[in-house]
Amino acid sequence: MLAPPLVVVDHLTKRFGDTTAVDGISFAVAPGEIFGFLGPNGAGKTTTIKILTGLLRPTSGRAMIGGFDITTHPVEAKRLFGYVPDEPAVYPKLTALEFLSFVGDMYGMNAARKMARIRELLGLFELQADAGALLESYSHGMRQKVALCAALLHEPKIYFLDEPTVGLDPKSARMLKDIVRAVTRAGGAVMMSTHIMEIAESLCDRVAIIDHGRIAAMGTVPELRELRGRETLEEVFLHLTGGLEEQRIAEIFREPART
Amino acid sequence: MNQGPLAQTWTLTQELIRFRILASQRDWSSRTLYIVAAIASSILTLTIFGGTYFGVRALVAAKATGLLGSIASWAFLVYLFTDLFIAFGQALNDMYLSSDMPVLLVMPVRSGSLIVAKFILGVVQNEVYVAVFLLPFVLGYLLALAAPWWAYIVCVTGLALFPAVLYAALSTITIITLRIIPPQIAKEILWVIGAAVPTAFWLFNFARFAHIEGDINSLQLPTAPEWLPSSWMGHLLTSAGAGDSPAASGWLGFIALVTLVACPLGLAVVAQGFAEGWSRATAGKRIAAWSRGAPPSLSPIAAVIWKDVSGVMRSPQLWFNHIASLGFIGYLLVGHQVQSPLLPLTVQLAMLQIGFVAVLDSLNPGMTAISLEHASIWLLRTAPLTPRQIFVAKIVGAYAQTGAITTVAAILLGVGYHFSFGATAALVFFALLMSAAAICYGVEFDTRYPSFDWENPNAINRGVRMIMPFLNGLLMLALCGAFLGVTRLALRTVWGGSAAVLLGLFWCALVVGWIFVRTSQEAVRNLAALEA
Repeated sequence: MLAPPLVVVDHLTKRFGDTTAVDGISFAVAPGEIFGFLGPNGAGKTTTIKILTGLLRPTSGRAMIGGFDITTHPVEAKRLFGYVPDEPAVYPKLTALEFLSFVGDMYGMNAARKMARIRELLGLFELQADAGALLESYSHGMRQKVALCAALLHEPKIYFLDEPTVGLDPKSARMLKDIVRAVTRAGGAVMMSTHIMEIAESLCDRVAIIDHGRIAAMGTVPELRELRGRETLEEVFLHLTGGLEEQRIAEIFREPART
Repeated sequence: MNQGPLAQTWTLTQELIRFRILASQRDWSSRTLYIVAAIASSILTLTIFGGTYFGVRALVAAKATGLLGSIASWAFLVYLFTDLFIAFGQALNDMYLSSDMPVLLVMPVRSGSLIVAKFILGVVQNEVYVAVFLLPFVLGYLLALAAPWWAYIVCVTGLALFPAVLYAALSTITIITLRIIPPQIAKEILWVIGAAVPTAFWLFNFARFAHIEGDINSLQLPTAPEWLPSSWMGHLLTSAGAGDSPAASGWLGFIALVTLVACPLGLAVVAQGFAEGWSRATAGKRIAAWSRGAPPSLSPIAAVIWKDVSGVMRSPQLWFNHIASLGFIGYLLVGHQVQSPLLPLTVQLAMLQIGFVAVLDSLNPGMTAISLEHASIWLLRTAPLTPRQIFVAKIVGAYAQTGAITTVAAILLGVGYHFSFGATAALVFFALLMSAAAICYGVEFDTRYPSFDWENPNAINRGVRMIMPFLNGLLMLALCGAFLGVTRLALRTVWGGSAAVLLGLFWCALVVGWIFVRTSQEAVRNLAALEA
C-alpha cells in the first residue's frame, strides 16, 4: 500500500485584486519524492509556496501539509516543514548562533538537541568561524546558508525550498543537493522551485511547469521530454512558456546601424 | 546621459524629486490615514502661527523688548536641533545607504551631478519641514509686529536658504564619519548623537531659563551661540520685524554668502567621499562578544521577546524615544520652579505629566512591534506559533522597554518633586497604566498597517504614520485626566487627598483594561489575517 502524500494541493487559487496569480492548480508530493516547480518569473511559483507555508491565504482551494489543512490547522502543519524563502532575510542584529537558537526555540527543541544540531549544521556549511558575528555583516550567500540551516534545524519531514541555490557557492550547492537526496531517502518530501534546468533535470523525481498561474505540464523529466518531443527539459520549458525565438533575439541585438 | 554638467544635474534633480513624490503618494494605501495626517499637520501649522502671533502681540503690549529680541534665535535653535536628528538620518538614507545608489553610480553620470541632485533632494525635503514649522512662526512674528512688506521677502528668502546650510554641514559630518567608522556602526552612533546632544543642550539651557527673575519688560533669554546659523536667522527676523532694513539685508547677505561657501564645500567633501569608493557593507565583521556562548532554551513566546529585546539593545537608533522621554523628565524637573506658580503642583498634575511621558515613550516600541520584523517576517509567519502567541510576545517585548523607562522616569519625578512614597507609587502605577494602553494602541495599529519595506527602523522616518496611535494615546490620557480631575474635586479632603488619587487610579485602570481587551482582540484578528 502506498504511503499517503505529504503535500496535497487541491484546486488552489490566489487572486490579488483583478490579478490571478495561481489559477486552480492541483498536485501532490509523496514521501521520498523531490518535486520541482519550474516557471518563468511571475508565473506563480513563489505565491504557491507562500500559500503552502501559510504566508498567504488561498482565495479558494485547499493545501494539506502532512494531513493538516494549512488554513484551518496552521500550527500543526507548520511543525512539519522547513522553509527557505526566495530572499534569505534574517534578523540583522542577531548572530548566526543566536538566530538558529531562536529558530530551535520556535519549534520547541530541547537545549541539548538544539545545540548539537546547530553545531552540526554550522560545521556542515562552514559557518563556525562566523557563528558569533552579527548577521548584518554576512554576505548574501552566507545568509542563504543560515536560512538553509534554519530550515534543516528541527529535522522536518517536508521541505519547501524557493530558489535554494541562489547565492550559494558550487560546493554548498552540491552539498544542498546531497542533503535533499538524503532527506528523501529517509522518507521526507521536498518541493523546490528553481530556474536552473540542470538542477531540476538531475535532482527532481517529478517536475511541474507553471505558467500564468496554471500548470502547463507535470511528470517525470523523461515523460515530459517524450510527451513534448523535445530533447532537453530546457526545450520543453521554453516550448511551454513561450521563450523568444532565435530570430527575434537576433533582431533585438542586431549590430547598430552605422551612421 | 550625453549632457553637460548643469543639464545633467538638473535632469537628475527633477527625476529624483519626481520619484520621491511618487513614492510618497504610493506609500499611502489608506486615504483616511492620509486625511487625518493632513488635518493634524494643518492644525499644527495654524497653532504655531496663532501662538506666535498672539504671543508676540502680548509681548509688544507688555513692552517686553528684551524677550522680543531674543525669542527668534531660540525658536530657530529648536528647529536646528530637530534638524540635527533628521539630517543625519536623511544624509545616510539619501546618499550612503540609499537603495538607488548602486544603480545610479554605475550609470554614465558625473558623480558630482549625482551628489548635487541628491543634496537638492535632501534640501527640498527639509524645506517641507521649514514650511510646516518655521514659516508660520516667521509670518506670525512679522504680522504681530506689523512689519513692512520687504521684511516678509527678506525673511522668507533667508528661511529658504537656512536648511541648505544645515543640510550641507550635517551631511558633510555624516559622510566624514562614514569614512572613518563602518556605516552600519556609524549610523547608530549618529542617531544617538542626534538625539542626545539636543536633549542635553536643552536641559542645560532650560535650567538657565528656569531661574531668570525680574519684571517681564526687563527679561531677556540667554544669548544663543552666535556661531550657529539659527542665531543668524534670529537676527534677520528680529531686525526685519523692527523695520531695520540695513541690518536685515546685512544678515540676509551673510546667510546667502555662507550658503554659497558652505554648500559647495560640503558637496565637494561628500563627492570626494563617493569618489574614493562606496559600499553599503560594513568594513569589518562585528563580533558580539557577549553572545559567543550557547544561548539558553526558551519557550516560543520568551524566544521572540528575547530576540526583540536583543535587537533593540543593539540598535541605538531605536533608543530615541527613551532618550527623549528621560530628557522630558529632566525638563519637568528643571522647570518645576517655573510651573508651580502657574498651576499648583498636585499628585494628579504630576500623574498627567508622567502619563504624557509614557505615551511619548511607548510610541516607537508599540507601533513598530510587528514592522520591525522587516523582511524576516516570513520566519514568524511560518513558525508554529498562533497569532495570540505572537501578540503576547510583541506586547510584552514592547512593554518591557517602556515599562522600565517609565518606571524610572516616574521615580525620578516623584523624588524630584519631593513626593511621599505613596504619591511616588501612584505615579509609577499611573505611568505603567498609560504605557500599557499606549503600547496596546501602537501594536494594534501596527498589526493593521504593518510596514515591512522600510530602510530605517526609526519611527521618525515614518513621518505622519505615528500620528494616529499618538492621538489615540493623547485622547486616552485626556479621558484619564478628566477622571483624575473629577475625583480630586470631589474627594480632595478625604484621607488627605489619597482617596481621590486611589479612586482616580481605579477608574483609569478600568479604562486601560477596556483598551487592552478591545485592542488585543483586534490585533490578534489582524495577525491571523496578515499576509506577507
